[in-house]
Amino acid sequence: MKRQSPLMTRWPLWLALAIVTIAVGTSSCSRVAPPGKSLTLAINSGVEGDALKQAAKDYESQTGIHINIAEFPYANLFEKELIDLNAHSGAYDLIMLDDPWFPKFASLKVLSDLTPLLQKRGKTDPDNDFVATAMALCREPYATGTLLAFPYVGNSQLFFYRRDLFQKHDVKEPATWDDVLAAAKAISEQETSGAPGGGKVYGYVMRAAQGNAAVADFMPIFWAFGGEMFDTNGQPTVNSPEGIAALKFMIELGKYSPPGYASFNADEVGAHLLQGTAAMSINWPAWISSFSDAAKSKVIGKMEFGQLPGAKNPGRAEIGNWLIAIPRDAQNVEAAMDFLLWATSREQMKLSAQRGNPPTRKSLFTDPELVAKFPSYPAQLRSLESSRPRPRTAQWNEIENAFGIYLSKANSGELTPEDAMNQANAEIKKIIAR
Amino acid sequence: MVMPRNSPDRALALVLIAPTIAVLLALTIYPLIYSLKVSFETETGKLTFANFSRLLSDQFFLSALAHTFVYAVVALTIEFFLGLSLAMLLHEAIRGRNLVRALLLVPLMLPPVVVGVIWRLMLNSNFGALNGTLKRFGFSTEALTWTASPKLAMASVIIADVWQWTPFMFLILLAGLQAIPQEPYEAALVDGSTRWQTFRYVTLPLLRPAILIALLLRTMDLLRVFDHIFILTEGGPGFATETLSLYIYRTAFRFSNFGYAAAMSFVLLILTNLISVAYIRMLRAQDA
Repeated sequence: MKRQSPLMTRWPLWLALAIVTIAVGTSSCSRVAPPGKSLTLAINSGVEGDALKQAAKDYESQTGIHINIAEFPYANLFEKELIDLNAHSGAYDLIMLDDPWFPKFASLKVLSDLTPLLQKRGKTDPDNDFVATAMALCREPYATGTLLAFPYVGNSQLFFYRRDLFQKHDVKEPATWDDVLAAAKAISEQETSGAPGGGKVYGYVMRAAQGNAAVADFMPIFWAFGGEMFDTNGQPTVNSPEGIAALKFMIELGKYSPPGYASFNADEVGAHLLQGTAAMSINWPAWISSFSDAAKSKVIGKMEFGQLPGAKNPGRAEIGNWLIAIPRDAQNVEAAMDFLLWATSREQMKLSAQRGNPPTRKSLFTDPELVAKFPSYPAQLRSLESSRPRPRTAQWNEIENAFGIYLSKANSGELTPEDAMNQANAEIKKIIAR
Repeated sequence: MVMPRNSPDRALALVLIAPTIAVLLALTIYPLIYSLKVSFETETGKLTFANFSRLLSDQFFLSALAHTFVYAVVALTIEFFLGLSLAMLLHEAIRGRNLVRALLLVPLMLPPVVVGVIWRLMLNSNFGALNGTLKRFGFSTEALTWTASPKLAMASVIIADVWQWTPFMFLILLAGLQAIPQEPYEAALVDGSTRWQTFRYVTLPLLRPAILIALLLRTMDLLRVFDHIFILTEGGPGFATETLSLYIYRTAFRFSNFGYAAAMSFVLLILTNLISVAYIRMLRAQDA
């Protein structure tokens, strides 16, 4: 049957129609330049972004500069920003970014160098009130290089524990990981019906779900035990004897963690602590305020927020700051810089702190008014000043994912600690070779 | 129906259908070609075959592929037998039939994300309804950590899928059953066939088109499953429930390696197509 379908003979007409339609469609989507004075901010939806949103409203009423807010949940923010920055579309004038993303953005050379912008305003450097570990995150290379962002929210991990249970069982305050293990054992064994609902209190609770969760809860143990992710040549060394010992310790601690912790994320850990069914954990400052909220907490006034325990090395927290940067292709770089300096000024950051965000300025951590409201500020400052960043590499997301999978597999019993670390090391090696 | 070439209706028909074709070209054909191009490019845009050659040495890709097939085969089998049994049962004029039919359709109306959240809460090993109920009946639930257990996690995500999609299987098979005329059954009755023989030699052959369509649609869906696994386990614990779609998503949007993600998507597309073609051949074979 060779007869051509009559519909097909008119294909030039079809094609023409299609092209016209596409052309009309794409021309109407092309960007219209925003009128004179306006800024667009990409922010994280959550307490960190909310404070900046409030600040933006104040700025708008003070200066008359219109501010558009593009708000995304944490899980989408990275990809939205990356796509915009890669496409050089200049959709955002300012972006909020979590510090582990910074090396990726910096390596793509899509962020504005802020030093010339500071110089234009008669400054050479950001003022030295910023905590050094926070400011170091904003430079590429780390601590010494080009200034590409400002730190806005000064999070770093803290060690959360139940002071009342430590006193009750007369166990040593958790200064080392051995103290933690001993206390976890004592509390798990003796508090079989000590939880508010009459249930068991687990000595420890951790996040060991694959990905970010497991890695964040493991790094402080790993570092304290003397583990390092990379040697001085940049080769992975997670399967060092120290690294394997740290993972074995994590699994040992897991015996006193609620069953199923190998799939726990922040929510589950928070729930156990708030319900009084777990006694210790590594956690982030954002959770602190919920412990004094009667609607959520069954352990009001019983929690202590301290420094990360040590082992061979002194305890160091993982830092997790929110930074603000200006994309290189931003439409209004100058206006964005004015806003950035205003939002990270002492006065504005104090307001942000009152809205629930830990600051990145030393003087605010010691501000009497703020300390009265947030009694854990001195501990937070100590933690932040001694904190460490996650390994600074543009491939961090991929490395963290692979490492987290093997940590989770070891915690769920699927792999031995040795196998998990050896396989993780091999996988990380493959990633950095790409 | 083919209209005469000079019919005024034909011109009108072309004009009316043109926007649809244009949208399809813009939103389906163009992205498809573009992603094919991306799959042959490095991050800097150089032409390469590396994205495809990496597939075979990528342990994560191979196990995600294996998980996808295990998931699809097990879920499809359970959904089919459950769906068929329910369809047979509710095809009969039993009491409360309409109510049960309506209730069965509820899971289908829920977005998969909601189903994920529901099951995440139900399967929670500490506060969940399932372990709570088992405990009440005196079972020890210490080892039943569901989504956190490398052994039970796959079962957990399959349970949620079966719960949501068995009704779909049921619905299509029921429609198929109702379309079978009464005569063959009467003939079978006259010939003195047993209930099993009637089912085996009358119902099943006549239901074949409906069965194949139901299996085809579910297979295509199962192979690209994403939503409720993402909510329930995010692919964990470890890598135990990571399916290909999840891994593709991660590669593209977390590791920003769009080329490799596109290459994996094409592998999934080709596999899905091969399986679908097999089903469609079976359908055709029967028509002939």
